[in-house]
Amino acid sequence: MLTVALPKGRIAKETLEIFETIFGDSFKFDDRKLILETPKFRFLLVRNQDVATYVYHQAADIGVVGLDTLEEQGLDVVRLLDLRRGICKVAIGMKKGEKLDLTKPELKVASKMVNITKRYFEERAVSVEIIKLYGSIELAPLIGLADMIVDIVETGTTMKQNGLEVVEDIMTSSTYLIANKNSYIAKKDEVLDIYEKIRDVIQEENKA
Amino acid sequence: MILEHEIPNGSKLYFGKSAKLKRHIEQVASEILDANGYEEIVTPIFSYHQHKSIADERELIRINDEKNNALSLRADSTIDVVRIIEKRLGHNTKEKKWFYIQPVFTYPTTEQYQVGVEFMGEKNLSSVMNLTVEIFEKLEVKSLIQISNMKIPQLLVEMFDALEIDDFRHINIDKFINLKEEWLTKLVYLQYIEQVDEVMAIAPKAIADELLKMKELCEQMQCDNAVLAPMYYAKMLYYDELYFRSIVENEVYARGGRYKNGELTSVGFAIYTDALCEALEKEEK
Repeated sequence: MLTVALPKGRIAKETLEIFETIFGDSFKFDDRKLILETPKFRFLLVRNQDVATYVYHQAADIGVVGLDTLEEQGLDVVRLLDLRRGICKVAIGMKKGEKLDLTKPELKVASKMVNITKRYFEERAVSVEIIKLYGSIELAPLIGLADMIVDIVETGTTMKQNGLEVVEDIMTSSTYLIANKNSYIAKKDEVLDIYEKIRDVIQEENKA
Repeated sequence: MILEHEIPNGSKLYFGKSAKLKRHIEQVASEILDANGYEEIVTPIFSYHQHKSIADERELIRINDEKNNALSLRADSTIDVVRIIEKRLGHNTKEKKWFYIQPVFTYPTTEQYQVGVEFMGEKNLSSVMNLTVEIFEKLEVKSLIQISNMKIPQLLVEMFDALEIDDFRHINIDKFINLKEEWLTKLVYLQYIEQVDEVMAIAPKAIADELLKMKELCEQMQCDNAVLAPMYYAKMLYYDELYFRSIVENEVYARGGRYKNGELTSVGFAIYTDALCEALEKEEK
C-alpha cells in the first residue's frame, strides 16, 4: 500500500486521471473528503506547498508537486519523474520599459519564492533585499515597494495587465512525481512499479 | 526574550522515564560491546579536524582556541576517535576495537546522542554490522537493514559522462533509466539478494565485483530483513565502500561502513540513541 499526497486543484485531478488510465477504475474524492482509500493506494489531498513536507516526513510515500515548490523548499526527497504537466516559468518581472541592471549596489525584489530569488542573485554576486509577499506580487513595483518581482509566469497575461514584463527567466518548472527516501528503499518494488506505469502514460501522451 | 525554562532548539533533555530508557539502550549496547572485546573511549568535545568528516562545513559549530586557531564542536566522532587512537595512543595500546557513548553537535544548536563503534584495521563490515543486529535484537527493535556500496556510484560517474555524484544523492532514477543500458536499469531495480546474480551476469566486471561484496555481506548478516540499494550515496565524506543503514519508517536507527584513514582501512557504525529512545517510548505507550 502506498500513500500518495496530491495538491488540491488541477494537479490532483490530472494525476487521478493518470491513475484511472493505468488501472481502469474511477479515482474520485467524495465531496470535501481529504482522504481517498483504494485497495492499492491511499490518496491525501493537501495544499500544494505541503506536498513535499508530507513526503519528507513519510506521511505520504509519494507525491506530485511543482519543481518550483520543490526548489523553494529544498527538502531532501527523491525526484522520480517529470510529469511534463503544469509547465510554467519562474521569472523576473519589471515595469514595462525598465531593464535589469545587476550593477546597482542593491536591488529590492518582491517575491513569494524567497529561496529561489536569494539563490539566483547570490550566484550573480548581487546584493538584494528580498521582500516576502504572499500574493498580488505584481503590485510591488507599481507602487515602489520593490524594483522588480520574482514570480511564476504561465502565459504572462497577469504581468502584462499590470504593466509589467518578463526581463529574465530563472527556471522552467513542471510537476514532478516525488518519493520519500526511506519509502523508496523499503518499498522500492511498489514505488518503481507506479513510476513505470506513470512514465508509460506520459510517454504515450507525448507520442500522440 | 528568552524564557527561564527555555532550552535551545534541537538540544536534548531527558529526565525520569526517558533518561532511564536512554541509559538502558546505552547499557545494553555497552554490555554487548564489552562482551565482544571492545574498549570504551571518550573523546574531547572540541576538535580541530571535523571538516574532514562533515560534507557541509556550515553544519559545524565553530569557535577558536587560545591562539585563534579554528576549532569546532564534535559533529562526528569517527575521525577523531581513529586519529586519537592511531596518533596519540598508537604506542601505548594494541587495542583495535573501540566504542564510545557520546553526543555530537551541529549548527546551530542540535545535539544527537550516539553509541559508536570503530574496528581499526578490519576490512569486513559484517563483523560490526552484526553487532547492531545483536544490540537491536536485545532491545527488541525490528528494523530494515539497507546495504549499499559507495564504490558503485563512484564507478558509474566514471563510466557515464552524463552522470554526476549529485544524481545519486538525489536518486535521479529517471536519468539512470534514460541511459538505456539494460544492466544499469536492473541495477536501479535491484532490491533483494535473490536478484543479484542476474544483474552480476550482465554488468561490467568492476560493477559485478562490487555487487558480489554486497551479496557476501548480505549472506554474512545474522538477520533476514535486508534490502540492497546500490544507487544510494551516503552524505558522509569518509565511507568509501560497503555501507549500511538500519531504518524504520522515516527514522535511521544506525548507519556504518568501511572507511580509510591514511593507509589504514577500518569499519564502524553509529547507533542514533535519540531515535531509538523515541521509538521505544512510543512502544511502551
